[in-house]
Amino acid sequence: MPVKLLVQLSARNLLRHRRRTLMLLMAICVAVAGVTFMSTLIRGFQYDMRESAVENLTGDIKILAPGYLDDPSIEHSFALAADWQPDLPPELLDGWAARVKVPAVIMSERETRGVQLVGIDPEQERISFLADARYQGERLASAADGRVLVGKALAEQLETDVGRRLVIMTQGADGLNREAGFRIAGLFDADGTGLEKAFVFTGVGALQKLLDADVVTEVSIRLRKEPVTGSVMKHLRSFFSGLDVLRWQDLEPQAAAMFAFADAAVFIWFLIMMGALIFGLVNTLVTSVMERVREFGMLRALGMRPGAVVVQVVLESTLVMALGVAVGVGVGVLLTLWLADGIDLSQWSQGVELAGMRSLLIPRMELADVVMVAGLSLAFGVLASLYPAWRAVRVRPLEAMRR
Amino acid sequence: MNDLVVRCRGLTRVYAGEAVPVHALRGIDLDVRGGEFVSLSGPSGSGKSTLLNLIGGLDRPTQGTVDVDGVRLNDLSESELSDMRLHKLGFVFQAYNLIPVLSALENVEFIMQLQGVAAAERHRRAQAMLEELGIGELGARRPGELSGGQQQRVAIARALVTDPVLLLADEPSANLDSATTEELLKLLRHLNESHGVTIVTATHDPMVMAIAKRQVKLRDGAIVEDAAAAAEAAARAE
Repeated sequence: MPVKLLVQLSARNLLRHRRRTLMLLMAICVAVAGVTFMSTLIRGFQYDMRESAVENLTGDIKILAPGYLDDPSIEHSFALAADWQPDLPPELLDGWAARVKVPAVIMSERETRGVQLVGIDPEQERISFLADARYQGERLASAADGRVLVGKALAEQLETDVGRRLVIMTQGADGLNREAGFRIAGLFDADGTGLEKAFVFTGVGALQKLLDADVVTEVSIRLRKEPVTGSVMKHLRSFFSGLDVLRWQDLEPQAAAMFAFADAAVFIWFLIMMGALIFGLVNTLVTSVMERVREFGMLRALGMRPGAVVVQVVLESTLVMALGVAVGVGVGVLLTLWLADGIDLSQWSQGVELAGMRSLLIPRMELADVVMVAGLSLAFGVLASLYPAWRAVRVRPLEAMRR
Repeated sequence: MNDLVVRCRGLTRVYAGEAVPVHALRGIDLDVRGGEFVSLSGPSGSGKSTLLNLIGGLDRPTQGTVDVDGVRLNDLSESELSDMRLHKLGFVFQAYNLIPVLSALENVEFIMQLQGVAAAERHRRAQAMLEELGIGELGARRPGELSGGQQQRVAIARALVTDPVLLLADEPSANLDSATTEELLKLLRHLNESHGVTIVTATHDPMVMAIAKRQVKLRDGAIVEDAAAAAEAAARAE
């Protein structure tokens, strides 16, 4: 088959109707750029949601005592050797944190709230949102620091401030209530998310002392690579025999479901945009073919095989699609780079918080998405041209030339 | 050259009309030998174009057989018919039917490209053919930039450049003025006499009929006059 000739004919036929080709190109560009950019927003939303879930003290993997999820109290805790380190290779392990997390009641002079009181080692918390939060006042100095960090929003509810004292009441390891006064070291600002109202932090040593228990309720592990592999889980389950070793998806099922849905959302969005585009493409190609039925008849009368006519029509579609996809992907990438610093959603902060997102949406481009958009668009272009191509060869040469 | 190029036997073509079937051809027998210049003439609806299309493999007979250069067209598939037209036949159409997006030279090269002739070779042959037909300097122009006569010359160049067994011309002068027609006819006669090209043309133009060596007249789908056939029959009778 004379491919060079067919490419030449296809390209020149596209140039023959410049305005029509340009309109078609623009439609393809807009659709492909839209899909490319939208997929980066969906991915941005997806990974923001995941980061929020993982940084929300969850980590990629969490080790809990059995029963803690149903009754998150000091009764469901476990002992951890002081010099314990996760036995994972450094290229895999980002960090880890052992914590004591118990429900507590916090009281100021004016208000009372229920919170999660979390004992932390500040050195280990570079893996959680505490590393990126903004602070008013001071951070905790060490695991033995007996002051507290309170969320900015909670401080407003409690009508308190840095340097003031709070009373915290919780249940000790012996089942009896413990009550102690804590001075506020600082207020943390977690972008107005629910974290500010949910957690109050103090040194893990200070909390263990209050609870009269030298134990932890959780170990949170962050990995450098995702997803978490089965071998890592197997290793940890073997090491923490008798404890629950859970992935973030087990602990945040709603976020995990949304994360999985985002994969489908990229594809669904692509199908919607391409579906609309394909109708336009088929319509334009059919018009173009029907205008040239006589010409196709003549080509066949001169000896061009029916298959070559099909290839010529398919090539026309593929050429215009390839050009449109190349420009469209380029525009999509430029748009993404232009907005690489993120889109400020603070106007809708309450809404995005409900969706598990932060107020700054950062587009995230994935090569696999770009390849999928480009590859499937070309495939759709070829598919869309099959019907017009069939129309082109369905008419016999003599009938075509009589038109 | 007098080997049999075309052999039609009992050729019948019936089209499904709106009310009744239309008998375009009614049992035609026709032989064309190599080097002949045959004009098929007759009034509109006589069946001359239908006969030409059947010989060219552009249509299929309802009954009867068509052999071209010893190959029975009835037995060929669409793709085989395409190959037959590509390698053995040259077509000149009433409306020139050049490819509008190709230049005159590229139009002449077109069939050779389909045949897979190397670029340098087809370029040389196409240019030589255009020059032989007196339009060598117009090779870069597209059909829209050429006069009717020039386009028909390009069409003839395209039809002949591959040395086909048979040149079929359907009303080749229909869109030409008389001066251009005269030039075209001189060219066809020259090609037939000097190069031995076998030509079958369907026409109702008396100028074309006048230069053909053999005139076959049709009416109502049947041959009503064929001097060569009559002479052959007479010879057989003697």
